[in-house]
Amino acid sequence: MYKLFMSTVVAGVLTLAGQAYAACGSLSMADMNWPSATLMANVDKIILEEGYGCEIEMVAGATTTTFASMNEKGQPDVAAELWINAVREPLFKAMDEGRLHSAREMPITDLGEGWWVPDYVLKNHPELKTVLDILERPDLFPAKEDPSKGEFIGCPAGWGCQLSNINLFRAFKMEDKGWILTDPGSQAGLDASMAKAVDRKDNWFGYYWAPTAPIGKFNMQLMPFGVPFAGADNWDGCIAKAEQDCADPKPSAWTKSEVHTIVTTNFKETGGADAMGYFAKRIFPGPIMNKMLVYMEDNQANGPDAAIEFLIKYEDIWTPWVSADVAKKVKGSL
Amino acid sequence: MDFLTEFPSLGKRDLRDLKKGIDGSFREWSRTYGDGIEAFFDPLYFFLVWLEKLLIATPWPLILIILAGLAYLGSRSWKLAAGSVISFLLIGYFGMWKDMMATISLISVATLICIAVGIPIGILMSRYDRVQSAVTPILDLMQTIPIFVYLLPVVMLLGIGRVPGLIAVCVYALPPIIRLTNLGIRLVDKEILEAADAFGSSYRQKLFEVQLPLALPNIFAGVNQTIMMALAMVVIASMIGVKGLGMPVLQAVQNQYLTLGLMNGLAIVALAIIFDRVSQRYGQRLQAHRFGKEHE
Repeated sequence: MYKLFMSTVVAGVLTLAGQAYAACGSLSMADMNWPSATLMANVDKIILEEGYGCEIEMVAGATTTTFASMNEKGQPDVAAELWINAVREPLFKAMDEGRLHSAREMPITDLGEGWWVPDYVLKNHPELKTVLDILERPDLFPAKEDPSKGEFIGCPAGWGCQLSNINLFRAFKMEDKGWILTDPGSQAGLDASMAKAVDRKDNWFGYYWAPTAPIGKFNMQLMPFGVPFAGADNWDGCIAKAEQDCADPKPSAWTKSEVHTIVTTNFKETGGADAMGYFAKRIFPGPIMNKMLVYMEDNQANGPDAAIEFLIKYEDIWTPWVSADVAKKVKGSL
Repeated sequence: MDFLTEFPSLGKRDLRDLKKGIDGSFREWSRTYGDGIEAFFDPLYFFLVWLEKLLIATPWPLILIILAGLAYLGSRSWKLAAGSVISFLLIGYFGMWKDMMATISLISVATLICIAVGIPIGILMSRYDRVQSAVTPILDLMQTIPIFVYLLPVVMLLGIGRVPGLIAVCVYALPPIIRLTNLGIRLVDKEILEAADAFGSSYRQKLFEVQLPLALPNIFAGVNQTIMMALAMVVIASMIGVKGLGMPVLQAVQNQYLTLGLMNGLAIVALAIIFDRVSQRYGQRLQAHRFGKEHE
């Protein structure tokens, strides 16, 4: 009787202990080398560990190296923010073969590249609704070199986006409309030109991308182009190529940047439906993400610090991602 | 024992507040005075734009004739003049004419500014030891401080483009002319100065009739170095949006366009060699004229 009792107790304890980990297991996660990705990875780590009982090990990474390792070795198990344009073909192959899975398409909203203006430009000129409207008003963005022209700040020399900007500049016939394209030369130059304009409340119109700290810090607004995306043939076959290889660029909205949260089969199995369900719901609103990036820059906060800040400050954003029970556990751990 | 292994430093928070405070007050200052400072540099800016547009708008044969003429007047060497014409023709033929004009306008203005500012400072340094001991560390700083450290505040203040580029070039290219002017004057033989004193010459006469002419070889070495360093900065200046031969180099470096990089790099080298040889020959000729003949 005693024996039976003891074994029941032991079995019960084991089941209980097992339950805490049964939902999850020991997993690894990529900690990418840019702020938004490291923030997301650390938020995932806290929620999966505290809420779902996973054990997560962080592995430093970057887009191509992390993807190669996931593709070849199945390690790490999660890449929270993978920009797939660089790894599109091998990724789709791995997904077809069932080795890698997209747990969440577009984990951050309002993400991508495009043409931006500071918010006060739109406040002072509410008639500017799209890029097309702005293009009619070069007088609002006078170039210093020749104030009769409007200045559009493009993408630094040598970046892929430099070609796209040059070709879109041609496609929208901006030269005829009285614009000049200024090459800022480097990201430092681009950032500083934006910072200077916003500091003085001058109008600024140029290329940038989100999620980034400057976009959040300066309240930059992404302008809709006012024309639809004119097809992949136009973009990949012309806009994204060198000027001489793109004879007839058509006006087009910026190509969509695709970002996925990618997980391995191992994660799908050990993490189980709970963890996959969490990723499926986890979407960071772009403006909040930008604010978090500003916070990280201002306070020189690293990923774990910023993740805790996010979980404390933006409870209403992340609690709908998980069940009430899990939310309680995570809150208790903070 | 922590005291020995951990360097006693300002706390992380204090350090952050200190940095943020300084950044903030710079921003504040730039917001308040930025427009005024920008207006101060405006004439320079418009001169640069005007010069560049003039160089680009002038028919290319005319530019070639002028440049060849200047090369010949400077060096009195047909070979050098012909060499520069051939280099310019090649640069233009490979599609770098506009970029080269932008670079030439920036470099010539930068060099002129450096000479106009540098030589007087060098003279002051040679006259007063105190000035020398104050200026030398500043020159060391100008030559060694990583460029972006001062470039970013300048860009925040003046925006991207030619004027910050010019300032960057001058900060880097100014020290040699100052140093070598100072050195050249200090190296003038004391006995010659005594002789000048004995003839009752004033300071001004001594400076312009004795010291400066005798220091010319060093001063010209300084001018030469200034031009070289200015050209070396062309690529850096492009990183804050200065047009010219540096821009394609940046593009080439980022994308591994080997030929594009090499062509523009070699164009910068060709400019450097032409400027160097012409200015050196000119310097040599000046001295031959000044005292070579008297000794012959």
